[in-house]
Amino acid sequence: MAELYVKPGNTERGWNDPPQFSYGLQTQAGGPKRSPLTKRVAAPQDGSPRVPTSETSPGLPPMGPPPPSSKASRPPPFVGSCPPSRMEPMDSPVVESEILLEDVLRPLERALEDCRGHIKKQVCDDISRRLALLQEQWAGGKLSMPVKKRMALLVQELSSHQWDAADDIHRSLMVDHVTEVSQWMVGVKRLIAVKRSLFSEEEPNEEKSIATAEQNQTVPGVQLDCDPVGSPDSSHTTSCALAWEASLT
Amino acid sequence: MATYLEFIQQNEERDGVRFSWNVWPSSRLEATRMVVPLACLLTPLKERPDLPPVQYEPVLCSRPTCKAILNPLCQVDYRAKLWACNFCFQRNQFPPAYAGISEVNQPAELMPQFSTIEYVVQRGAPSPLIFLYVVDTCLEEDDLQALKESLQMSLSLLPPDALVGLITFGRMVQVHELSCEGISKSYVFRGTKDLTAKQIQDMLGLTKPAMPVQPVRPAQPQERPSVSSRFLQPIHKIDMNLTDLLGELQRDPWPVPQGKRPLRSTGVALSIAVGLLEGTFPNTGARIMLFTGGPPTQGPGMVVGDELKVPIRSWHDIEKDNARFMKKATKHYEMLANRTAANGHCIDIYACALDQTGLLEMKCCPNLTGGYMVMGDSFNTSLFKQTFQRIFSKDFNGNFRMAFGATLEVKTSRELKVAGAIGPCVSLNVKGPCVSENELGVGGTSQWKICGLDPTNTLGIYFEVVNQHNAPIPQGGRGAIQFVTHYQHSSTQRRIRVTTVARNWADVQSQLKHIEAAFDQEAAAVLMARLGVFRAESEEGPDVLRWLDRQLIRLCQKFGQYNKEDPVSFRLSDSFSLYPQFMFHLRRSPFLQVFNNSPDESSYYRHHFARQDLTQSLIMIQPILYSYSFHGPPEPVLLDSSSILADRILLMDTFFQIVIYLGETIAQWRKAGYQDMPEYENFKHLLQAPLDDAQEILQARFPMPRYIHTEHGGSQARFLLSKVNPSQTHNNLYAWGQETGAPILTDDVSLQVFMDHLKKLAVSSAC
Repeated sequence: MAELYVKPGNTERGWNDPPQFSYGLQTQAGGPKRSPLTKRVAAPQDGSPRVPTSETSPGLPPMGPPPPSSKASRPPPFVGSCPPSRMEPMDSPVVESEILLEDVLRPLERALEDCRGHIKKQVCDDISRRLALLQEQWAGGKLSMPVKKRMALLVQELSSHQWDAADDIHRSLMVDHVTEVSQWMVGVKRLIAVKRSLFSEEEPNEEKSIATAEQNQTVPGVQLDCDPVGSPDSSHTTSCALAWEASLT
Repeated sequence: MATYLEFIQQNEERDGVRFSWNVWPSSRLEATRMVVPLACLLTPLKERPDLPPVQYEPVLCSRPTCKAILNPLCQVDYRAKLWACNFCFQRNQFPPAYAGISEVNQPAELMPQFSTIEYVVQRGAPSPLIFLYVVDTCLEEDDLQALKESLQMSLSLLPPDALVGLITFGRMVQVHELSCEGISKSYVFRGTKDLTAKQIQDMLGLTKPAMPVQPVRPAQPQERPSVSSRFLQPIHKIDMNLTDLLGELQRDPWPVPQGKRPLRSTGVALSIAVGLLEGTFPNTGARIMLFTGGPPTQGPGMVVGDELKVPIRSWHDIEKDNARFMKKATKHYEMLANRTAANGHCIDIYACALDQTGLLEMKCCPNLTGGYMVMGDSFNTSLFKQTFQRIFSKDFNGNFRMAFGATLEVKTSRELKVAGAIGPCVSLNVKGPCVSENELGVGGTSQWKICGLDPTNTLGIYFEVVNQHNAPIPQGGRGAIQFVTHYQHSSTQRRIRVTTVARNWADVQSQLKHIEAAFDQEAAAVLMARLGVFRAESEEGPDVLRWLDRQLIRLCQKFGQYNKEDPVSFRLSDSFSLYPQFMFHLRRSPFLQVFNNSPDESSYYRHHFARQDLTQSLIMIQPILYSYSFHGPPEPVLLDSSSILADRILLMDTFFQIVIYLGETIAQWRKAGYQDMPEYENFKHLLQAPLDDAQEILQARFPMPRYIHTEHGGSQARFLLSKVNPSQTHNNLYAWGQETGAPILTDDVSLQVFMDHLKKLAVSSAC
């Protein structure tokens, strides 16, 4: 959903500035981890430097061309799952055609209307002011294509009540395109939060998103076999008779 | 003889502990003769995705001077429901809730695979995290704009119930009152006069008049008394207003005359920030984040005057005692750092400027509190932006990695005492039976406070064996240590992480080979290095190097195999073979060599060295070098000039820099454009391979390293050339008689010469 790209750092301000990773790449937890580069070679104990074998004559040209592909007996070192390292077009069902402002703005304004009775007037005005700013910037051609695309996605997620996904898209836009979006994005963020809390008030079963703690304690990959003797009830009692059969990796 | 490598690795993965010696010398006298002290590197909050926390309070030993926590080393009588503390041998009754335990129904904390276990405890109302931004406005327009955007972006990364505040400074210091009303107000302080905490709190209207005792209210996580809310508000209420406020920030309006520096009141700004938090939210997790674009030039804590023609102090100035402001400024920041640590808060410094910013004087602020130090060239660089983003990175559970308000307590069995700790901590001055008289690092205590902590922070903890010579080996044959870390998790839960480890005692006379085999040279190198860098803060550079050399010679004398007076016969067993190399590179490293670095840069490198885990610390001491060529898959190569060859690409990782270096032939091929021709696709892959590996490192590391892509003859190749062992220099080029590798133009001693001298000294009976 979020874009995965790397662009070069700001070499005007920092000549050895590292490349900049998009939000999508940075939040990828791990991914296909190649073996980390942490090995060392011990220096020979007798002190002479090791002479590594080298097929080309040291020093000067004329050098021949590199060994051509057909001759290479080994495949290139890293095959397949290379993380994308160039600008890649976003892999999304939305075609490169025009994304209409109305398609994005209309649902946002509707969402604001839904919330109007439930939040302070000041907040409402603030949000609508920012939506107006968004409209102005979009219509004025100041927003780039990736921003427009992702806003369209955000609005889709918002309409389907996927709060976390919408929040994540807003974060990715703030990280990757802060210059373009910072003035009005916080209004969209607030709108998502307000809609989420209103929605959960209507459905008391749903967990409030602002609450912390509890949902963060389930850890994948662990089995809790509760022994029948001394069964644990709620998480807050000092019951200890949990025979953990944690499958430790 | 079994190798200990697997044992060492398993223990590190499970407990986050690496000992210098894994079989312990059983007497004090013998332990001192081992040269490398018995010590360990501990990562208190090592990430353990497979370790679910338990939801109950730990069981403590009832002896008041002990209070060790129930652990797998304790003897248990399941019938009588008694357990014996393995540290003080007190017999304790299990609490009533444990009535149902038996051999087949053990609580988690008694099971051996839970030598490290985490408890979630309920202690009072959960308090929100606090982030106080202290922002320098004496920046160039572009820089200020980039910083403002980063701060606005961070509001989206913070949790909605976190409290946030803003102080801006330049010539004056402004404390912004955050309100939802649309009118922005701020309190302005002069940047020249320092104020006490009480004065600050009075002037900000934070002191309440004497009030009658308030009726007890149920815990309200987000409501605090209105008095403190004016300057620190929850994100979910204030994000829009704060975004606007940040967007409207202007450069410091005071004009800067020609030939002068802007007047920057960092010392007072920081003082006000510390005082504000002290008065409103003591003893709860908070970060003071200082963003500065130049040195403090006014008021207490100033590091340089405002005349540009007087440059900021260099190491040369400091050696010649020519740094006017240094002592006073350091004292000011040390006072602030100690107060902040006492309050349980931490201070981060984000310094982005082309010249120095006073990190030398301010380093105690992050060092004593566990805060971060980030050094960059400009706020408008990806190095700053991404490093800053990574502070808010989340773990596999969606929680921030940062933890707050940690206290670490160390308990030992009676044959051991704690001599001290080296890392981002302050002493809590807790005396007790485990505390040794001899101090190594921050000593005289068995408890330390680490106000800001993350899963990679690692402390070096040093021990002393106190058993008398010829005393029998203690019953059971094993010594034990327990590490107890209380902390505030980023989800605002309070947690306790307990790690209990044990190792065998051995008599040195009869079991030297066992002890040798269990030596962890990597841990030993890092632990000795930390000691060296700790000394370097207060001693002269050459003295530290002499001390380090002396320890190395003594170690070789004790554990080398050789014939007296015969250097050629000298050999070290496998478990010691890398150690001299580590020491060689350590001597040349920026941690002990200040030449070629400014005082700020040295402080920055030392700051990171004193807190990273073992793998990263080793990378800093002896950078990793990998070679890519057509001859085979990528392989590690010697950090030596002989590894620099024309037909190879080298990737060097020093932790602070990633350097990709193209050998001469590779560079020529690239210039000729072979990578674009379809029949030379493998060349394209070869060029890409180190880039992909570098990318993996760049994606994960905090702080983000600098990235250098260079080639043979390039000016930036100097980063590689200055790190490799100069086995071939202009002095010995013809002596070797062969032209492999590139000669390095240096008079530095090479590893070969170093080893020759070392062997001579080790085998000599005169030493």
